[in-house]
Amino acid sequence: MAKYKTEPLKCWAKAKELRDKYYQDYATAHERGGIRWTGGAWSFDAIPYGLGDDVYPITGEPYAASIAFNKEFSLKCMEATEAKGWARDLCSYMRNYWGSMYLNKYNFGGPYPKPTFAFQDHICCSHAKWYQVVAEHEDIPYFNIDVSVGPYHLIKDNPQKIKYIVDQMHESIEFLEKVTGREYNDDKLIEAVKTDMRSTSTWAKICELNKNVPAPLEEKSMYSFYVFGTLSKAKKEFADFYDELYDEVKDRVDRGIAAVANERCRLMSDTQPPWGFLKVFRYLEKYGAISVGSLYTFGLVGNWEVKKDGTWGARETYMEKGIEINTRDEALTALADWTLSRPEWQHFYDPGLKTEMMLRIAKEWKLTGVMLHLNRGCEGLSTGIMENRLGLVESGIPVMTFEGNMGDEREFDLGRTMTRIDSFMETLDLEPISAD
Amino acid sequence: MITAGVDVGAKTVKIVVLRDREVVATAKDLSGFDQAKVASELLAQALEKANVTQGDLAGICSTGAGRKIVSEATHSVTEVSAGAKGSLFINPDVRTVIDVGAEEGRAIRCTEKGKVEDFAVNEKCAAGSGAFTESMARALEVDVAELGKLSLGSDASVPMNAQCAVFAESEVVSLLHAETPKQDISKAIHDAIASRITSMARRIGLNKEVLVIGGVALNVGFIRSLNEAIEMDVIVADDPEFVNALGAALIAAERAN
Amino acid sequence: MFSKFEEWYRDRHDYARAWKEKSSGKVFGCFCSYVPEEILVAANILPVRVLGSHEPQDVTEPHLFGMFCPFCRDVLAQGLKGRYEYLDGITLAQSCIHLRQAYRSWEQHVDQPFSYYLPHPMSVQSPAAVPYLREELENYKKAVEEFTGSKITNDDLDRGIRILNENREAMHELYKHRIGPEPKLSGKEAMWVTVSSTWIDKEEHTAEIRRVLKLIEEREMDRECGAKLMFVGSENDDIEFINMVESVGATVVVDDHCTGTRYFWNSTADDMNDRIEAIAKRYVERPACPSKDHPVRTRFPHILKLAKDFDVQGVILIQQKFCDPHEADMVPLRKYLEENDIPCLFLEFDVTVPLGPFRIRVEAFLEMVGEEDLF
Ligand code: SF4
Ligand code: SF4
Repeated sequence: MAKYKTEPLKCWAKAKELRDKYYQDYATAHERGGIRWTGGAWSFDAIPYGLGDDVYPITGEPYAASIAFNKEFSLKCMEATEAKGWARDLCSYMRNYWGSMYLNKYNFGGPYPKPTFAFQDHICCSHAKWYQVVAEHEDIPYFNIDVSVGPYHLIKDNPQKIKYIVDQMHESIEFLEKVTGREYNDDKLIEAVKTDMRSTSTWAKICELNKNVPAPLEEKSMYSFYVFGTLSKAKKEFADFYDELYDEVKDRVDRGIAAVANERCRLMSDTQPPWGFLKVFRYLEKYGAISVGSLYTFGLVGNWEVKKDGTWGARETYMEKGIEINTRDEALTALADWTLSRPEWQHFYDPGLKTEMMLRIAKEWKLTGVMLHLNRGCEGLSTGIMENRLGLVESGIPVMTFEGNMGDEREFDLGRTMTRIDSFMETLDLEPISAD
Repeated sequence: MITAGVDVGAKTVKIVVLRDREVVATAKDLSGFDQAKVASELLAQALEKANVTQGDLAGICSTGAGRKIVSEATHSVTEVSAGAKGSLFINPDVRTVIDVGAEEGRAIRCTEKGKVEDFAVNEKCAAGSGAFTESMARALEVDVAELGKLSLGSDASVPMNAQCAVFAESEVVSLLHAETPKQDISKAIHDAIASRITSMARRIGLNKEVLVIGGVALNVGFIRSLNEAIEMDVIVADDPEFVNALGAALIAAERAN
Repeated sequence: MFSKFEEWYRDRHDYARAWKEKSSGKVFGCFCSYVPEEILVAANILPVRVLGSHEPQDVTEPHLFGMFCPFCRDVLAQGLKGRYEYLDGITLAQSCIHLRQAYRSWEQHVDQPFSYYLPHPMSVQSPAAVPYLREELENYKKAVEEFTGSKITNDDLDRGIRILNENREAMHELYKHRIGPEPKLSGKEAMWVTVSSTWIDKEEHTAEIRRVLKLIEEREMDRECGAKLMFVGSENDDIEFINMVESVGATVVVDDHCTGTRYFWNSTADDMNDRIEAIAKRYVERPACPSKDHPVRTRFPHILKLAKDFDVQGVILIQQKFCDPHEADMVPLRKYLEENDIPCLFLEFDVTVPLGPFRIRVEAFLEMVGEEDLF
């Protein structure tokens, strides 16, 4: 007998449709006289929206993850990148993306749609280099904003850090006007900044609902939703979708609907999963175990803050707080301030900050243990991961690690990983509930 | 109560039959292509040696990479649980188990009750497993048993690029060309593998007593290098290859209760 | 002639301990060549660059995931093994993620009274970089002042700038003797000099270069020059490797490493009213680490110019395994150099390099370079 009731999510179809439309819109933007640009999931995508309503981005990380999911094409992309001489241990998203570009094949059919310009942020060593190569290959202009000014708690007392970023943002608007020949619209920018705040705080609210037992969402389905925040945080349709999703998940909580019927062991993961092998998450169900999220799914897209009672909740938006945004400079400053507070940005400087956040999640989301993906594909999110492991273990939280690669299946061993999970479950005294 | 543990490893299958926590028979064979068949036949042999039939058994627990193919098994556990269980049975003071088999190295930290607290596995790296000593022995044109003894004759420390087994092999060749004595090369090889294993074991912390199990524990050269690397004396299990099978048999007995 | 430098290279820790005793000053470990040493020297602190020891080790795996570069792991191992126990402080200037982790683990697991993470602009090509770094350097200066308990005055800064610049000038003069058909020093000797300059008291180091410079004109080399090569790439202070290369018919005459020319190539302006801004400018404008070299690749023409000025016949591209910043430059760099008729040999470095297999590759490369000479 199952412990909890389960139900499929109603939002699925809508999510799929929105995602497909995003990639189609990008591909067909030029036919409609629009602009398409490429950049990272970390880019300030609100800024190009000031160029008009017909601006369509493609962000490299989720695009590359979609390639990784398509194993056959991914392998071709990897090989194309390797044939150019690039090292196999570089960021595997970057290698998938470059491969698609070198092969001139779009993962959603047809040739790779050439962007008008590249617009990137820099916090990981690979960020700026990624689009440097793209810009050279595609012969397109490129702007990059360095955001590596340190963790947020040090920023408040150092206005020059925000200023450095805002200065570059101003510069980037001049760049955008120059390379597109369009006049920049500050009202559209302000709107986009507000939308960014709305979508990223709503995503945090959705993740917060997973504090409930049983959890209404498991991480594998969260991947299909958090992705919108990596595609474009400032896109109105996506922010609206998050509002809808929130209502649905809230309703599940109210009615006690679980993601996993026999939930009895709550875990979190870390870093991007091996995209071609999400069945690892299904394997957990055999033990009644569920991954209720991760700092990665919560904090790459979601904006959080410590609430009065000391727990984590969605960060209040400027609108909720009644702070007005009226000028370009105010909008850019607000965007910088908002973005820099995002959890996944903090650990680049200090693994201690990440351990602290993970311990917080472990406590507030009522976890039994942690599964760390030692992800050879991403130097950025693997930064400091062994110190995180030590920190968690020292705090008495059981941790298992498994090595793999989010985007290069040649570096992942499914059988061994499942054995690793078996061992971990044994150490937690959990026996399988169901057969394989 | 009689139980059996079946350890289906990458290279060999090992079986231990227990009667009232006492070993009454063991058996070992190469796993070959048809592991399931080898395991069944070997189990039959071991039972015969112990003078019992399958019907007498209260449980059979399988472990090892091929644990899921043992159709006779009533339970199955991973090498981590089996290794910890078997090790604590051999020596209750053990807190750290180092298990070096043909294809994988593992380190396990356990409590005095034999509960696994933490474990680490050498990821896809030949340089920390038996496969490494074998390929190095080939490069040196000696057999593995001899390789270990050779290194005892050396006090040299020739650094070797231990990160990668492929490079290590060509390095051995160039050391040979440079007329480095074989015993020094052999020492370098064992230092390299001991360093890999120590690195991994440090992840979980090294607490006394440290017991070494798995086939590579029989290699005296490795044990000596390991003692130096971790700066304490390890204990080598008697019949180190059978400890996982023993642990599995013990688990079968516990589960039958 | 270079034995002092060799000794300094070899006995770096003895030197630092002795310096401390003699001067009763403080010693800071510098992670990365972007640490503004002018400020430390102004505060009478001895900056020492923390490097690895090229020995296999088994202590870093609990702290650093194996996908990060061997150099940063070797650095951390030195700390965990207590080799730098004399340090009073450490500073990381932000560049790549790899070294950053070695710094953080060191900070956490090795005791020292002072530790500072110095944010450093990655977009050095942006006009916003100098004003930003200026502010960060002000903060750093303040932190150092608080730690030592004494103010750093403009006069102190002038002294710091002068001492650093004098060493840089002397290095340039020495490097001039590597130009021409008969370089007056081997690459190995130059490596002793350059690498030791990152931890020896700069005035003492400059004086020793000056002493050598007086004698070097008259020096008779007892070795054939062979093919003239350049090293380009990740951190490299591997004496055994350069020795091997120079033992098979080559001389290394110039480099682009953070432990080589990138460290000393440009000076700090000594005529600016705002000293901190002058220092900020120096570190923003210096030959870039690939992690900071974007959107335009400024490194490539700089490297080509060095190769031409020093008249090299080939380049050995050296990359620490897993070093993302250099990996992201290697492919276009190689293409660029080869298009400019400079042949390249690519080698991947680990904590220890497999000299045997590498020797074979270097010899083959030299044959190729030599043949091209015939036509
Ligand atoms: S390494 Fe990771 S953080 Fe860096 S660009 Fe790649 S995916 Fe992003
Ligand atoms: S630049 Fe390369 S060699 Fe230097 S620390 Fe970073 S990753 Fe290592």
